[in-house]
Formats: sequence, structure tokens, C-alpha cells
Amino acid sequence: MAKYGFLIDASRCIDCRACLVACSVENNVPMKSTRIWIKDSGVTGEFPNLERYTAPFHCMHCIDPSCVSACTVGALQKNEDGIITYDNEACIGCRYCMYACPFEVPHFEWSKQFALITKCDLCVSRLAEGQKEPACAATCPTDAIQFGSRGDMLAMAHERIRSQPERYVEHIFGEHENGGTSTFYISPVSFDQLGFPTAETTDSPAHFNRIATEEGTPIIAAGAAIGMTGIYLALEHNGKKQAVRKTEHAEDKHDTAGKE
Amino acid sequence: MTKTISRRDFLKLGAASVGAFAVGQMLPPMVAKAAKESGLINAAGNGYISTMCEMCVWRCGVIAKIVEGRVVKLDGNPEHPHSRGNLCPRGQSGLMNTYDPDRVLTPLIRVGKRGEGKFRQASWEEALDLVASKMTEIKTKYGAEAMVFSSTHNLSQPLFENLLYAFGSPNYGTQRSLCFNAMIVANTMTYGMEEPARIYDDKLKYILLTGRNLFEAISTSETSDLSRAIDRGAKVVYLDPRYTKTASKATEWLPIKPGNDLAFHLALLNVIIGEKLYNRAFVEKNTIGFDELKKEVSKYTPDWAAPLTGIPAETITRIAHEFADAAPHALAHNGWRTSNFINSFHTQRAITILNALIGNWDVVLTEAGGEESGKLGAPSQPPYPRVSALRLDGVPWKYPVVPFKIGVFQEMRDNIVSGEPYQAHGWFISRQNPVMSLPDREKTLKAFAKLDFIVTVDIILNDTAWFSDVVLPEASYLERYDPLLPFGDKAFLRQPVIEPQGEAKSALWIYKQLGERLGLGDFFQYTDEEDYLRQQLAPLGVSLEEVKTKGYAESPETPHAGESAEKSWNTPSGKIELFSDTLAKVGFSGVPTWEEPPQPAEDQFYLLTGKVAQSTQFGTQNNQLLNKYSDEPRLWINTQVAAKLDLATDDWVEVTSEVGQIHIPVLVTQAIRSDCVFMTPGYGHLSKGLTTAFGIGASDSVLHVTYTDPISGGQALSQTFVTVKKVDDASSAETLKPLYLGE
Repeated sequence: MAKYGFLIDASRCIDCRACLVACSVENNVPMKSTRIWIKDSGVTGEFPNLERYTAPFHCMHCIDPSCVSACTVGALQKNEDGIITYDNEACIGCRYCMYACPFEVPHFEWSKQFALITKCDLCVSRLAEGQKEPACAATCPTDAIQFGSRGDMLAMAHERIRSQPERYVEHIFGEHENGGTSTFYISPVSFDQLGFPTAETTDSPAHFNRIATEEGTPIIAAGAAIGMTGIYLALEHNGKKQAVRKTEHAEDKHDTAGKE
Repeated sequence: MTKTISRRDFLKLGAASVGAFAVGQMLPPMVAKAAKESGLINAAGNGYISTMCEMCVWRCGVIAKIVEGRVVKLDGNPEHPHSRGNLCPRGQSGLMNTYDPDRVLTPLIRVGKRGEGKFRQASWEEALDLVASKMTEIKTKYGAEAMVFSSTHNLSQPLFENLLYAFGSPNYGTQRSLCFNAMIVANTMTYGMEEPARIYDDKLKYILLTGRNLFEAISTSETSDLSRAIDRGAKVVYLDPRYTKTASKATEWLPIKPGNDLAFHLALLNVIIGEKLYNRAFVEKNTIGFDELKKEVSKYTPDWAAPLTGIPAETITRIAHEFADAAPHALAHNGWRTSNFINSFHTQRAITILNALIGNWDVVLTEAGGEESGKLGAPSQPPYPRVSALRLDGVPWKYPVVPFKIGVFQEMRDNIVSGEPYQAHGWFISRQNPVMSLPDREKTLKAFAKLDFIVTVDIILNDTAWFSDVVLPEASYLERYDPLLPFGDKAFLRQPVIEPQGEAKSALWIYKQLGERLGLGDFFQYTDEEDYLRQQLAPLGVSLEEVKTKGYAESPETPHAGESAEKSWNTPSGKIELFSDTLAKVGFSGVPTWEEPPQPAEDQFYLLTGKVAQSTQFGTQNNQLLNKYSDEPRLWINTQVAAKLDLATDDWVEVTSEVGQIHIPVLVTQAIRSDCVFMTPGYGHLSKGLTTAFGIGASDSVLHVTYTDPISGGQALSQTFVTVKKVDDASSAETLKPLYLGE
């Protein structure tokens, strides 16, 4: 089955936030939550030689998703088409996925009594209805968010950098990060400057988690960080536990300071 | 930012929650009957319906997804030329306007003081009878002209105009003088049309944007066009005192000194004419007045313009060369407004003339398909009564070249206060918020205090409704029909995708009901909304049912004359008028000429205002989805200046103009000239009936001083100068005393 993919071009993003609103409506996202953020370089330089770049940021849909490997109850799953889905019925609110994700994507709805995670599921139900694109890509007035097959999106990213080298830094974010993802970013400035969690610098809990899981002690490792309730709930649900995946780039570090 | 409900919550609740003053039970919206009859929605109430957005005036085509009788998602209609499948954040948020818990759902009649917000529910019968009797009383006592009418650009405006012209009042206010009068009047004086259409084809290489912030003041299709042009490598030169999101994408940003765009454009004309860079064949064949123009602009050299604009002479010369080199694939965009000054008419004339000189007609600019409904039918009606009273807005007796349909809104308000040349007694307002939109809010409230009767038609209790005597609840754009929108070779339909909530009614219904009560029923010869649309469609031979399904009717365009035909322009001379005799005859310069703009004093700043992508003017701040993703409104101030004033981001300041004072936190940024401050308009609402927006930010209209461009009648929105003083957090509390009018 063909894998889905995004290409998000920071040179085209005008920070209008149509994608954020579209996502909220399409997915019935509560008013206090969001599944997309704007990464913003801020205004840099000295007047009048200024620069500013932005890009919408949401779940990267990793090839080897750390969140799925961290989820003890199978609430997070990777579909054949590459979509990382989230099942709020199965979720126990343990937040392991939050610590596991090197991109800080799953967000906890702290305001709720029985808090769950919210994250992009690539508008899986919208696609199931026969719509061609997720709501964010469909509405983007500048085609900053494009959607298609993962292969096509990656090829398009390479082609854009090749044909307009003066316009982009030579880095496709998502091509190699966390072992490769289904969301690719290209940008006129470094992803560090754009506030992305960069592969070189993040001290991600996922790193710890992955090391731990590779040693076969995921529950103890995570439980130490979370507490006994997590262990209890995890044990209760461990019938749904997913196979732990081996993840590449376990040594990578990520900067967690995203400007949102 | 303030209290919110989640969509999930209100879907669960069946929208039973109501805003503070949205009296009456909010009924669960039913499936639109019409849509069900057309088969657009199945028995379960699910389906997709094509209609048109009304979150701004660009009118994108949308496809509404309906689930169990509720609208749950809006997507851009790929077949509509304004959306092409995309929607901006406002368009995406549109269903939250409809499901706003603050909706007004029954007619309201004021019971407290004006501004106190005390209303009682009334039946339509009672409310309409009251409005008609008050209007009749004013007409009988003082004449029809004592009743003023105002409404903002919308599809039901022809019916609104029917009401006021049939009633016999000459007093009609639109929002245009607060926005782009200068552009419209300049195009009319030059090309004989309000605004030529712009063609963004693959050959377009050079775009000069004068404050047209297309990436924040979004017009979906044109925003896409500009973005694609930049992608293709077209050069974009952008003039704005502020580093906007458009500036950040432009090839070159020129932080021009406010009020001096005219000097910049005069200097471009100087170079293009002086160095003979213009298209001589086009100019000779299609224009008049070249010699007068040449003589006038010969003095406006780049060296002259440099100190005025803050842009080096060599940059101006280079841009003139680049622009002419790219001809005819170069566009000088009129923009709407950036720095609107009393000299803005001449700025706009200079821009229109720049295009004419390089002969980009039918290449980059062309006749707009227009929104004229010539090809559509209309109900028959008798001629309007003759009106002999002067207009309160000074058209044409003070503003001789301003078109009647545009007017000078701020002047109308001023003359309600002054009582000259006569006293107005009533104001009928539809879908407009003059309390917020007119400059000098205090003066607008003074005008209200002079009136015996104010009635407002809107979907929420906006600030103007808050001070009104009667509020008539309109159905939202997702709940009603409007007259068709002709565009190009199609006529597009706005149709209800759900039934109106509560007692809300369409404008077509409201104006007809009022017309009948005023004895003007002959001007509203349609039984209901669908009958009106059928009469419109009659000449096209298309059924309404077909239009409901497709969302539009084919309406073949009148064949374009084509480039080979002898082009004639709708001006007195039949040519593009570089020199306008019409202007000269009424005592204005016939060619663009320099007028020195006023400047702030040493301790003052230019007060700039402008759009953000997440709101439209003064009417969308209460939309919870837009509120969710809007920046906190703050006053932009330049980093170096902030250091001198000991200001850091989020410090509070007191901003004072000649007419008002506000408190607001600052945003310290490099993205603005040191002689300017900027604030987002549309905040600082007075109506507590807006429970989402109330309490957020401060109002620019409190500060704006009323200055009118004597030629176009446009409000000089950037000509207000302010002082900025740091204040303690403590004094940042709402300083506004309760505003009650009268007893």
C-alpha cells in the first residue's frame, strides 16, 4: 500500500493559520487544544534588513514511531498507509508517548479530568470519506502544505531544493530525523532557527525510552519516570501492547525549545 | 483568550447554551428544507451543499458538509474562482459565526438606557411594527431625509438600497470611505471604472505593492496568485512602514515614511516619462493629457522624493527602470490602503497612471467581469421618489467627484452631530458596526445621542446593536438565501445549508416586511427568497433547482471587445485620462500633484492600523475559532524607541491622540519604523453581548482623528498622531467608564 506524505514549505507559509482552524473544525478539536502549531523564526536581523519565516508543525508520522513503541496499550498505532492513529478509547492517559516523541507532538489535555492526548491523525476519517487531502493541506491558500504519496513528496522536496538552491537550505527535515518520517519540511533558514526540534541537539526522553525498551524493560523504565499509577494502568491494558520497534538514530539529540 | 466552549461541547448540548443577551432558546438547527427538497441532503440529514462565504467581501465558494442537520465543516469550492478549493482562516471558521452562543435569536427592543445592554425579546410583528412606525413618524415630522441608512458591501445591498431610495432618503453610508474611496475614485477618474481586474499569468514578472498586505489582508485567490508569482520568481517590491508577512515574502521591502507614497510614485512617473521609458504607442492611442502630466511630474525627481520617502534616489530610479523593463508584464497594484492620508487620491491616481504609461492593459489589468447584475432578471418596481434634500455626507455639494453609491460615511456622522444642513433623527444600520469602524468613537456615540431612533440588523449584538433601540436578528450566511452574485460567466448562489436558528430571518425577508409596513410593498415584488431568485434566473432559462445543486448558473458573458477592436473608455473623453478635466473643472488638479502630508510632532508617532489574517474589520473577533488562533492584540513599537522609553514586550502604555486615549500592552519589534506604532483594529469592544471578544484589547477608533481627503472623501486613517507613555500594570485595568447615552 502506498504511504502518505506531506511536504511543507516554509518559504511559502504566510502564517495565516487557515490550517490550524481547518484542523480544529475537521477534527472537532476542543477550543483549548490544538493539533497544529506555528513554528516561527521570529523577526531577525537589523531594521530594515529583516527576515521572518514560519511553518505549520504537526505530527511527523514517523516510519518508526517512538510514540507507538512507547504506548503500552496500543492506543497509538501505525497504519499500513503510514498514518499514526490514536484511539482515545484505548488511551489511559499515561503520557509515555509525550515523553517518547522527539518532536513534542502529542499534547496532553491538562484541563480535562480524564485527560487524553491530542495529535494529528492525518484526517484519517476525512480521507476515508473519499476526500483527497487532510483539512490543512486542502485549505492552504499558498500551497505551503502539500499532500500525496510519501515518495512523491520526498521527490518534490529534492526537486525544489535542486531547482532553487538559493531559496532553500540543503536539508529536508523529516528525511532522516528519528529514522525518517512521512512529513517533509523544506525551508530558507535552518530548522534550528525556525524553532524545530533539531536532530543534533535534542535530549529526548525517547532516547532514554528507546534504550530502555531495547533492553526489554520498557515498563520499569517508563514507570520510573511516571509513577506507580502508570504501571498499574499499563499492566491492566497490556493485552493490547504493541511490539516494540527498533528505532534508528537512537543517539540523536533534539532541542526541545519550540517556539509556539 | 477568554471563555470558550468547545465545538464538541456545543454539539453535545444541542447548542442550548446562549450568550448573555442572546435571549430565547437556541433551537437545534434543522436540515435546510430547501436542501432536503433538492436531494442535496439525505433523510438522515447528511450531505454536501455548495454556497458562498461571507466572512469578508471576497465571497469564496464553499462546500458545506452537513451531518445530521448540522454544518460541521466548510471547504473551498474548487469550481469557484475566488476560492479554487482553498479558504482562509476566516472562511474555515465560518460555522462558528453561525453557532456563536452570542447569536441574537429573536428581535430585541431596548428597555434600559442606550449602552446599558438591557433589552426585551419581541415578536417580529411587534418589532417590525415599531420600526415602521418610528420611521414613518420621523418622515412625517422631519422629512424622509431625517432618516439615515448605512450598510456594508453585501449581496442583499440592492434590497437595502431599495428600502432607502423608496423611503426617499438621500442619506446612505457605506464603509468605503473608511477603506478605499481614494482607489475607486482614482480609477473612475482615470479608466472610467471602479477597479480593473488583475491578471496574474505566468508572464507577470514585476509587482509593485503599495501597502497591499495580501498575505494578511487575504483575498484567497489573489493571495494564492501572489504566492505563486513569488514562487515563479516574479519580483515583488513592497512599500509599507511595517514589516508585515507580505514584506517577509517580498523580494524587496521599502519601509517608506507614511504619507509619502505619493512622492515615491510621482518620482517613478518622473523617471519613466523623463527617460522615455513609457509605451509611446499605447499612450498616444489610448490616453489624453500626457503633456500636462509630463509638465507636472518633471519637478518630482528621485532626488526630491528621497528625503520625503526615506528611500534613496538611486533605489527609486532603479525601480522605475525595472518596472518599465518588465513592461507590459508589470503591475503597480492599487492596494486598498496603507498609509491613507489626505493626499491619497493623488497617490492612487499616480499608481493607475503608472500602469497606463507602460501599456499593461489587457495584459496585466483588464475590465473586471463586474458584479453588475445586467444579465439577471429582477422583480419589477415603480420608479423611486424624487429626492431634493441635500445629502448629509456632502456629496456632491462638498465632495463633487465622490460617487453617490460610495459617499463619505464619516462626514455623514459629523453632520448628524452638527445638525447641519439639517438634523437627522433616525439611523437604520444593517450588517455594519459604525461604533467601531468610524474614526473617533466618542463622536459616533455623540451622533447616536442626537437620534430619536436607531435600528440595527445583525446576527450578534455588535457594539452598534448594543446602543440601538431595536435589534433585528438576521439569519447567518449559512442559514439564508441572498441575491445571486454574477461573476465572469457564472452567477453564484448563496443558499441556506441549515435552517435559521431561533427567529432569525434573511435580509430579503426583513426588507420586504418593512417595505410593506411602510407602504412601499411595490418595491418588493417577490413572495419569498426563492421567488426572488427565480425572477433573477428567468432571463438565463436556468431553474433554481439546478443552481442549488451546482451552486451557480451559467450566464454567458457579453463578448469582450478584444484588443483589435477600437477600445473606448467610460470617461468623458473616451480615453484613459492622465489629465482629468472633470477634476480640473471642480477646482482640483487635473494631474497628480504633490501635497505635503502633515507630520507628527517630535514626541508623537504615526498610528498605523491594518489587517490580520484572523479577523475581518470589526465583526469577527467574537468567533471562538478565530479567537483561538489570534495573537494577543498589542501595540507594535520599534526596538530602539522602546529602549529609550524603557519598554519591554507586554509592558502597558497609555496611547493618546487628539480625540482619545487607550491602554494597551506593547510588542517590542524591529518590524516597524521608529516613527510609527501599529495596532490591530477591531478590539476593545463595548458590547458585553460579545462574550468572547469583550475585554480583549483596545479600540483604534477611540484614537483615530477624522480627516477627510477633499477629493475622494476617504478617511485619512494613518494621519492620526499619538504619544506613548509607560504606565503601571495597575492602571492597565479597564479605564473606560460605562457609556450610557441619554437618560
